[in-house]
Amino acid sequence: MLRMQPLDLVEITDPEIHELLAECEEFGVPDALFVRIFARQPDQMKGMLRAMLVSHRDGSVDHKLKEIMRIQIARFAEDPYFSALRSKKAMAAGLTEEIIDAGCEDYEDSELFTEAEKVALRYAEQMFLDVSKVDKFFYDEMHKHYSDAEIMEIGAFIALFHGIHMVMRTFDARPLAAA
Amino acid sequence: MRYVEVIATDPDSFDDAGWADLRAHLSEAEIVELGMFLFMNLGFHTFFGSLKFYPMFSPDGVLVSQEESERLYGDRPESLQTEAAE
Repeated sequence: MLRMQPLDLVEITDPEIHELLAECEEFGVPDALFVRIFARQPDQMKGMLRAMLVSHRDGSVDHKLKEIMRIQIARFAEDPYFSALRSKKAMAAGLTEEIIDAGCEDYEDSELFTEAEKVALRYAEQMFLDVSKVDKFFYDEMHKHYSDAEIMEIGAFIALFHGIHMVMRTFDARPLAAA
Repeated sequence: MRYVEVIATDPDSFDDAGWADLRAHLSEAEIVELGMFLFMNLGFHTFFGSLKFYPMFSPDGVLVSQEESERLYGDRPESLQTEAAE
């Protein structure tokens, strides 16, 4: 059961937060519940939300791949809220639940993914299951497929959302749409 | 500190009692502040650790090479993972 109730929208008076709420509504991750809980610290929440949107929605790495990685690490973290959310941008671009499940499970043997995508999925997986495997040799393999900028984009994205998922599971939240 | 430790090392053990413990001492605004602080800190330390870089300056403020910095600060931080495993 949700451990902290969201604020009523009328309690949120900052117009920038309402603009960010509209962006989240359009994008899908996070939904308004997250914003309404964390708006108790409006200045920090605005900065955090912008970082989340830039890290996930924007950038040069394929967005569908990042959405699969995000769901993969949300499932590792056993966070029911972020595991259930879906990027509307990724789904509109052709991402399906079948591809998501394949990316979260036996992606190494799947024909749905290129070698570059498999390396990225392995990166997300190993970063938090066994970081000792993310060594020089692993980064050499990453460099065969990605530029330094893309590796930083992926790494920072994984790092940010891992932290978010681990904290959010303690709130025991569920997406608004499923409530 | 207990909240941070549990999230990082044994999140399955966090329950209603843990939440009540937080609420007994912190306001809702303080809990979300702490949560957002942890958003940034839980994953980034693991990521940065995998990149193997070290502070640019020695403890007395001198610009040093990465090799020298590694020697000064140690190639690995003191880890709580062994304690968590135990």
